[in-house]
Amino acid sequence: MKDIYVGLVTGNDNLKSNYFLMKVLLPAGFGDPQPGQFVMVRIVGLKDPFLSRPLSIYSFSRGKAGCIIELLYRVAGRGTGIMAGLIEGSEVEVLGPLGQSYAVDPQKKDIVFIAGGIGVAPLSLLAGYLCQTVCRDASSMTFYLGAQTADEIVGLELLRRYCYRVIVCTDDGSMGEKGQVTGIFKKDMKKFSPADTALYACGPKPMLKALAKMTDGRYMCQVSLEERMACGVGACAGCVTAIKEPAGTTAYKRVCADGPVFDLEKVIWE
Amino acid sequence: MSPARKNNKSEAGMRVDIAGLKLKNPVITASGTFGYGQEYADYIDLNLLGGISVKGLSLKPRAGNPPPRIMETTGGMLNSVGLQNVGVDAFITEKLPFLRKFDVAVIANIYGESYADYASVAAKLDGVPGVHALEVNVSCPNVKKGGLSFGADPKAAAEVTRRVKAQTTLPLIIKLTPNVTDISLIARAVEQAGADAVSLINTLAGMSVDLKTRTPHLKNITGGLSGPAIKPVALKMVWQVAQKVKIPVIGMGGIMTAEDALEFMVAGARAVQVGTASFINPCAATEIIDGMRNYMKQNSIKKITDIVGTLKV
Repeated sequence: MKDIYVGLVTGNDNLKSNYFLMKVLLPAGFGDPQPGQFVMVRIVGLKDPFLSRPLSIYSFSRGKAGCIIELLYRVAGRGTGIMAGLIEGSEVEVLGPLGQSYAVDPQKKDIVFIAGGIGVAPLSLLAGYLCQTVCRDASSMTFYLGAQTADEIVGLELLRRYCYRVIVCTDDGSMGEKGQVTGIFKKDMKKFSPADTALYACGPKPMLKALAKMTDGRYMCQVSLEERMACGVGACAGCVTAIKEPAGTTAYKRVCADGPVFDLEKVIWE
Repeated sequence: MSPARKNNKSEAGMRVDIAGLKLKNPVITASGTFGYGQEYADYIDLNLLGGISVKGLSLKPRAGNPPPRIMETTGGMLNSVGLQNVGVDAFITEKLPFLRKFDVAVIANIYGESYADYASVAAKLDGVPGVHALEVNVSCPNVKKGGLSFGADPKAAAEVTRRVKAQTTLPLIIKLTPNVTDISLIARAVEQAGADAVSLINTLAGMSVDLKTRTPHLKNITGGLSGPAIKPVALKMVWQVAQKVKIPVIGMGGIMTAEDALEFMVAGARAVQVGTASFINPCAATEIIDGMRNYMKQNSIKKITDIVGTLKV
């Protein structure tokens, strides 16, 4: 039987603008998350809003006192707004780890990550996993991180530890190259052969849609999607997204249980 | 004897009978909030539940409505899932075998786009081992055909009841919508048509607007409101219906705690359903059962049914 864990907030720092990093100490029984998985987080006792919020796991470690998960999140509404005000010692309920993780193909020579804004969170855990657990050489990993402005570029320090090349870009040019991350990647795309490269992406829908268009199914590319959720375990069917099925039909798949990671070429964009 | 059965024996005071549907306690997980049971089985011991009402089943699989499908509002949430389900055949072959492993009453919630649909789904489920009752959804606010159009008209609701009744030997529960002028009229109509019980309320029709974009938060524009926000409305309707019908009433709408559940029973509900509460706490239903048990102990109540309809007015 899996538990709902009560975690102790041991840190909740405002990294930049509306980006926060929350550290939560959890009992040792909390399972090891696979990269791409998420947790449902709820502030103990909070009545409004009352639903849990799905947050990507940014980092995970195990120690004597239990497990520490780090949640990198962006304040997007009232729920995350209240979360941003949590101080050390606050309690949160954590359900997880949940959802499907990224598939890792050891045959691929190059690994390319493409993140937009807060999309850096799950990809950073994946890069760390590939670097530390699978022992991939940093030189085989390239990370493209984009956002509208420098204020939304977070998590660089860890990425630079995991990946040999970290390319930063902003729409307004306030940090790194000027331009959208998909445009910057497109210029480099010919350096990565489709057969030998695995792409992993997370970010706003227009970014993923642009990526789908430019890669056109030629690369192995997995993306993790973001949706509003209620249950987080596949019971309510509230968080669905349209996915192409092998038979050529379309079905609404639950982002929480069937995802959040999907093959990019199977995602149907409206 | 299985541990669950032993537990049953020591808990005679919690047992409830709904027109032949035997529940070990009065708490059922509500349709649409608990999947097919399996989704929550890692988190909650299904053997401890009074019953599980599964996601609404239709004759053919249904894709459901386009996303976004949910939006949280103050004290509640809107959903416009639109009865996405695997269809009754796949339910029987793929979902039911899992549920049969548990000592829990399984209520098949069914939905149709026509009278004939309702009858066919009921016929397919009749005599299927592991199905203990039917709950007929004539109250979904999120589908264009069927659903609410049957539940808002006493004649149509009665006709659905008759058609289903003719196809089933199972206890027949009709799930009512609050989106009507007088819910007790519908309740009376389905009672006269042969319903063995009624369950209420389904979600209240509602909507939510994003002021920034001036668009509805739900792709379907409107949805059904559930959660603590609707409890007073639900309680009133359960009380109102319980006065007007002789068949058992199953109460639901915003039940989050044992106290909430007990209030519904005092208002006239013989059993309750727990829905949105499971989303924030997968063990909500079992915690509510524990809380009811404590209440009985503290108030020296021997049988939970002793409190049904004890509202002093």
